[in-house]
Amino acid sequence: MAQDSNVVIDHGQSSWSDLWKKEDYLAIWLGFLIIAVCYLAYTSFGPKAEYAEKFASLNQIQETELTAAPFKTIAWHQAQDGKGKLKGTSTAFGKFAINSTKTPGSWKTNPVDSLIRSESQAKALNDKAMPAFEEAKGKSEAAFAMAVAAEASAKDASFQNQALNDDAAAKIAAWRDAQKAAGDAKKKTENKSYNYIPTLIGLGIFLAAMFGLGIALMGKSMPAFMQGFSMVFLVAVLAYMLGGQAISRQYGFGAEAWGVILGMLIANTVGTPKWVLPACEVEFFIKTGLVLLGAEVLFNKIVAIGTPGIFVAWVVTPVVLVLTYIFGQKVLKMPSKTLNVVISADMSVCGTSAAIATAAACRAKKEELTLSIGLSLVFTAIMMIAMPAFIKAVGMPEILGGAWMGGTIDSTGAVAAAGAFLGQKAMYVAATIKMIQNVMIGVTAFCVAVYWCTKVDCVAGKTVGAGEIWHRFPKFVIGFIGASILFSILDVHLGKDMGGAVMEHGIVRGGTKLLRDWFFALSFAAIGLSTNFRELSKYFKGGKPLILYVCGQSLNLVLTLTMAYIMFYLVFPEITAKI
Amino acid sequence: MNEKSLPVRLKNFVLALGATFAFVYLFLPLLTSSCGILNRMSVYLDANGIDPTRYYYTDVEQVKEGEEYLRSVLEEK
Repeated sequence: MAQDSNVVIDHGQSSWSDLWKKEDYLAIWLGFLIIAVCYLAYTSFGPKAEYAEKFASLNQIQETELTAAPFKTIAWHQAQDGKGKLKGTSTAFGKFAINSTKTPGSWKTNPVDSLIRSESQAKALNDKAMPAFEEAKGKSEAAFAMAVAAEASAKDASFQNQALNDDAAAKIAAWRDAQKAAGDAKKKTENKSYNYIPTLIGLGIFLAAMFGLGIALMGKSMPAFMQGFSMVFLVAVLAYMLGGQAISRQYGFGAEAWGVILGMLIANTVGTPKWVLPACEVEFFIKTGLVLLGAEVLFNKIVAIGTPGIFVAWVVTPVVLVLTYIFGQKVLKMPSKTLNVVISADMSVCGTSAAIATAAACRAKKEELTLSIGLSLVFTAIMMIAMPAFIKAVGMPEILGGAWMGGTIDSTGAVAAAGAFLGQKAMYVAATIKMIQNVMIGVTAFCVAVYWCTKVDCVAGKTVGAGEIWHRFPKFVIGFIGASILFSILDVHLGKDMGGAVMEHGIVRGGTKLLRDWFFALSFAAIGLSTNFRELSKYFKGGKPLILYVCGQSLNLVLTLTMAYIMFYLVFPEITAKI
Repeated sequence: MNEKSLPVRLKNFVLALGATFAFVYLFLPLLTSSCGILNRMSVYLDANGIDPTRYYYTDVEQVKEGEEYLRSVLEEK
């Protein structure tokens, strides 16, 4: 068929059988099957109805208290604590899900501690933490007594005396802080003995069977996959163990980083055995994990800190992403567009999770994802320490410092660490800004996928039709965005209390997140096992990825600080004052 | 890589793994204990149960605390 260069050309070869044969669709079905099981377990067959009654009763108490006093009374807070105890993870299904997907724990000097803890070790840990708990408990009880007395004084004056009201509110706030400290100390006295080895063996078999079924549907050999999977799973378990060491964790080297490092060391020294390669299904693991991650991308979270937060996270971030990408293409002339966009998204949005989502959306090579995450880990470790030190040294206000770090440090855990080092309010602001930014990965992945299949993957001067665009589009993104939209609607529909108890502390923390962690750990182990150092070094040639990251991050630092100052101190100072 | 003999490949593996472990489990602890700010941060993170390796907000307990605190001061009485 004769065609000129501007004629629409359709090469789409999609067919119905793609629905059960293609990796993208299988990732969606598998992800949604897990989501559906968790949803039913925590709603229709779970405690939702029982929780609804309890929430109604506790809300009634809170409303009465708010009407009676001009501040949140002790009874109001006790009702709030009562609501906080209603969690899906406390149900039988929640406990089963958590216990059967355990990852190796943390350790300091003996790696075996991550897998096995005896009764005597648990008792020794509890005994060691007991004095601190007793002290914190004593302080909490004393603070409570003072709060009760202050509230009674305010009540005796019919809550008409402003000084007594303020004193009561301050004493109640002090009691809450002391109570939180006592709660944290108590957690350290509740260590239990464990042996994760049988659980891990069972989990490995379950995951092998689950993914093996998908592999069989794709027309590949299920026995070959399951044989190789044992090695991939073992590397993921070892990665969790190595990443659980206290100092390794402190610098941000967790299971994901160790999975890649360990896998690459095996692949590039002794060589990955050929029988392992059929199980290195990186994309299948990542895409299924991303569909599950979609359940955690809740759009309603973006209003958590009001308009200033939206400007800092949702205006600066896309500007930095787009400008960094353009800089990479026009100035640095990055040889790979996919590497450019993955680094740009990783650096501007939220590190590892954004890198994974963007890489899958634009079909970046695994070496490009590895390189992007490696850069992010190194700079996160540096910024997590340097930024709070700099902010303290120059005397920057805590809220501004928190917003700055939340918008610039890549990983959420590192943001919380840096924020906490600066102060409690800085940590709250930093962590919340990061949460708002985290939500952007859904939009980023979708926009990158659309841009790639409509612009980047095209022959110059030729346009493509809808059929071809559909054929090229990474379908798992639909599952990812679909899960995100579904859960955002569900979260609003359920309301704050029920959403927290059933969705966040049920479906997500007691289900999808547990498996999502493992799927990403498996994908990083598989990436490492199938990555060649020489291939990786090609992408780093000329140091362009490093220059791109440094330049993009510098822009990010300047724009985020400027926007945070304008929003929190010039436009909305009343919000800053309340914080 | 696979052209090398198995003992050589095993030796390379042990050396590479050893160097990595030495960096993370010897050099970094030494650096941490000898540098005041790093040591303070290490103690602080350990005491407060903050895990910097977690990358998404649902993995980090402190995000929920922050969200609840901000909601209580910005939206309610």
